[in-house]
Amino acid sequence: MASIAGGSLVLFSMERAQAEVDLAALVERYSRLLFRVAHSVLRTRAEAEDVVQDVFVRVIERRRSLQGIRDMRVWLIRIAWNLALDRRRCIQPEQMDKNFAETLAASAVSAGERLEQAQRMSAVLREMERLPKTERHVLLLSAIEELGTAEMAEVLGRSESAVRALLFRARMRLRERLEAQGGKR
Amino acid sequence: MKNPEEAIGKVLAGLRAAEASPGMERRILAAVEARASAPPAATPRWAWGVAMAGAAVASLFILFILTTAIHWHGHPSTQAQKHVLPAEPARDAQPATLLSRKPIEFIKAVAPRRTATRIRSEEAVLLSDLRAPSHPAPEAPLTNEEKLLLRVVHSGDPQLIAMLDPEERARQEAKSEAEFQKFVEQSSKEDHESDQITE
Repeated sequence: MASIAGGSLVLFSMERAQAEVDLAALVERYSRLLFRVAHSVLRTRAEAEDVVQDVFVRVIERRRSLQGIRDMRVWLIRIAWNLALDRRRCIQPEQMDKNFAETLAASAVSAGERLEQAQRMSAVLREMERLPKTERHVLLLSAIEELGTAEMAEVLGRSESAVRALLFRARMRLRERLEAQGGKR
Repeated sequence: MKNPEEAIGKVLAGLRAAEASPGMERRILAAVEARASAPPAATPRWAWGVAMAGAAVASLFILFILTTAIHWHGHPSTQAQKHVLPAEPARDAQPATLLSRKPIEFIKAVAPRRTATRIRSEEAVLLSDLRAPSHPAPEAPLTNEEKLLLRVVHSGDPQLIAMLDPEERARQEAKSEAEFQKFVEQSSKEDHESDQITE
């Protein structure tokens, strides 16, 4: 009896060790990509990192049903994407966008120019947020280099041609609006 | 803005180049493992007591409902009254025997008083509804198309208002379609060229 119990204990610990190895491999392989996905929505490192952590907590919670997942990469991206969108509703994005715009401004220019660049980047981010939801999502995902059109389509639940059309429309609308702003000034 | 395309490109490049702070993987692994190894919260003993008491109260309530229902179903039979009708004379019977026969009895169930009261009160409600003064039906809400049209008109954006004209819209759509085709052809051409370079 004791040997059976001992055997099952060994099996359990082996299974657990296997799960830990898998988790470490998953974190190693996907955390940077998931960080970029979350960062494209949240534009702040700390929040994006929290989202990545939440994604792997979900993985642990659903570790029994992981076998049924067809494409782990797309599944993880979709979780990160949805969690980031949820989180963005709870925070004040304007301040974060402003901080991110300041980081985008070139450092090798004068303070005045730097301020002007930061304002320009802020305007782009603000107009991006004013785009229709689907166009904005496609545009943000297109910023992630590792994602192809097919993966973007899977994450957003749309066809590839629809994603291409949305991306084109998003860029055109954004450009028009920014041009209109420039004309007003 | 001087060059919007350049600014958009710069923002997207900034999003593309976002890098996590060093050691993120280690921190995430530690946090997730700590969360996974945390023991599940044990159910306190008092919670079991509350659950047991709740179950007892629920079973008592069900018992009470069942008892009431059984009593209610048995009620009409006790209220049954006997009505006596005179017996119908048989065609082939003799007059002497006809007089000596007992009248036929049948039982008619009388509806309980409570049901009659309920019906009367329901009728009263219906009558009061019928006699109540009528009001015009509330205004139907706007359809999505009507709302959209209102929004466009109130926005005062001349470009959007111009798009309400079908000819103008057709012209704009043709233009954007042509631009889209150009964009797709250009991007596919660039892809092809980059493939050739990598090969």
